[in-house]
Amino acid sequence: MASQSGSGPMRVLVTGGSGLIGKAIEHVVMKDGEKREGEHWIFLSSKDANLMDLEQTRAVFEKHRPTHVIHLAAKVGGLYLHMRENLYFLRDNLRINDNVLQTAHAMGVTKVVSCLSSCIFPDKTTYPIDETMIHNGPPHESNYGYSHAKRMIDVQNRAYFGQYGHRYTAVIPTNVFGPHDNFNEDEGHVLTAIMNKTYKAKRDNTTLNVWGSGKPLRQFIFSMDIGRLMVWVLREYDEVNPIILSVGEEDEVSIQEAVEMIAEALEFKGQIHYDTSLSDGQLKKTANNAKLRRYLPDFTFTPLREGIKLTCDWFVKNYEHART
Amino acid sequence: MASHSGSGPMRVLVTGGSGLIGKAIEQEAMKDGEKREGEQWIFLSSKDANLVDPEQTRAVFEKHRPTHVIHLAAKVGGLYLHMRENLHFLRDNLRINDNVLQTAHEMGVTKVVSCLSSCIFPDKTPYPIDETMIHNGPPHESNYGYSHAKRMIDVLNRAYFGQYGHVYTAVIPTNVYGPHDNFNEDKGHVLTAIRWDNTTLNVWGSGKPLRQFIFSMDIDRLMVWALREYDEVNPIILSVGEEDEVSIQEAVEMIAEALEFKGQIHYDTSMSDGQMKKTANNAKLRRLPDLPDLPDLPFTPLREGIKLTCDWLVKNYDRART
Repeated sequence: MASQSGSGPMRVLVTGGSGLIGKAIEHVVMKDGEKREGEHWIFLSSKDANLMDLEQTRAVFEKHRPTHVIHLAAKVGGLYLHMRENLYFLRDNLRINDNVLQTAHAMGVTKVVSCLSSCIFPDKTTYPIDETMIHNGPPHESNYGYSHAKRMIDVQNRAYFGQYGHRYTAVIPTNVFGPHDNFNEDEGHVLTAIMNKTYKAKRDNTTLNVWGSGKPLRQFIFSMDIGRLMVWVLREYDEVNPIILSVGEEDEVSIQEAVEMIAEALEFKGQIHYDTSLSDGQLKKTANNAKLRRYLPDFTFTPLREGIKLTCDWFVKNYEHART
Repeated sequence: MASHSGSGPMRVLVTGGSGLIGKAIEQEAMKDGEKREGEQWIFLSSKDANLVDPEQTRAVFEKHRPTHVIHLAAKVGGLYLHMRENLHFLRDNLRINDNVLQTAHEMGVTKVVSCLSSCIFPDKTPYPIDETMIHNGPPHESNYGYSHAKRMIDVLNRAYFGQYGHVYTAVIPTNVYGPHDNFNEDKGHVLTAIRWDNTTLNVWGSGKPLRQFIFSMDIDRLMVWALREYDEVNPIILSVGEEDEVSIQEAVEMIAEALEFKGQIHYDTSMSDGQMKKTANNAKLRRLPDLPDLPDLPFTPLREGIKLTCDWLVKNYDRART
């Protein structure tokens, strides 16, 4: 099926638009020249609508009348919060996703691109993981509530296609990081929580305490790369089956290597201590980006060291209003 | 964890109480000697509340103030309906289940026993299937909407236990049949949907798929036992043994015999068979110590259960669900 063309410019509604990925898309669209003539891009935040409430969801769709939706809004958090609140992550995200997809259907939206995550893959599995393996076993125990709710998006996409022919699809980024991220030490994602800790450790002349052993391996992807890829998916990717957005397996690094890059970027010269009494989460979740490479063989990812430096610089400059 | 005892008699709310399993439980619970002193059993149907609506769900819980819930209500159907409407089966059942479990939590219900189904197991899997394998792969394509919604009950049970310590659990029957079933040819379950037209009995599919059929009157005894005595959050399969698995064709022949049908039987192989097998392992059930009549649980023999069901259908044809 042809990508959206010749039927008028898109009105794109981005839910969760004030978050890490939303801000990156906004930057790419508004500042980097990605926006096309006549297009409207609307970036929603939780202030505009509580998507857990069906009426509010409906109201915001009616207000903006989108032809396309990038659905990023979710209840999210770092490892330790998930472990404590699986029920809420499950129920809240199921509700948000059902409200958004059903309202999109009811209002004739042409295409929805939702956002899954590589943390939802089966815990016991062979590596690397690819898009066909999402439902092949239970997810990791630490965030099963969130994972099941996210997996359900893929089931819903297939069901909307089967019942109504809608092109609702999803992307699966691996570990994203960048400006406008959540830098909170308890609830933020791993890299940005550590950036915050490193910043404080340098400021206060203390040891940098990293939770866990530092051994887990991750594929980190800079948010601006995700932003560019998601705009491409919205315009050109027409499958209902999801697509992994990730650097290659060869770019997988340990948490420890990433910590060392952060220390370098922030010029931290003190002691680094790994608290092995605390949970590591999953030891690996290596994803295969072959499908992406088949579509975009020449796409260039921002090198990790550079992405970390850009993010640290942003953080230092914007410390007062960053999410800490 | 101790089974419910010493904290007053149970008030049991049975959602989907007018369906196949609900009616069987009603008969069992109301039998002399089965109901305990002071216990109340309330059997709801869709007339009492539309459980897709959270407000109506709340209202019916407030009206009856149950201490326990057997949750059977669901949007269900036969193979062909599922294949056409996966989205509706997914969404409606997700909503019903969330409403019932969340309302139970808010109203301090002690225990909820929900009802899964062996059709929700992974399609590509080694056999026999057991309770630990539910999430080990995608379900069969024909009813993935229903299956995913039902699987979510198990995830919710674990989450309610992890967050609040609730003992919300589930049973997994294999293919149930019996009086008060849905006998509709399009939407009914396989055994009860089979029909004849003049001299030819037309059966959809090849007749080759294998199933473990369990009579509704056996399921009801097991479910009352599960409510009283089964205290794990992990689910339990309720089924006859693997040795009692039969083909659809064998079952059709028993039905023809029970109804004294002597005409032609035709298998329409252009129609879908659904899953070829879904053999479940009932070892967990057989291992439990408190079940009456273990280890030789007297399941009703299939031929006898079919005869009883056919007799019921013939006698009640005018008000059966056809």
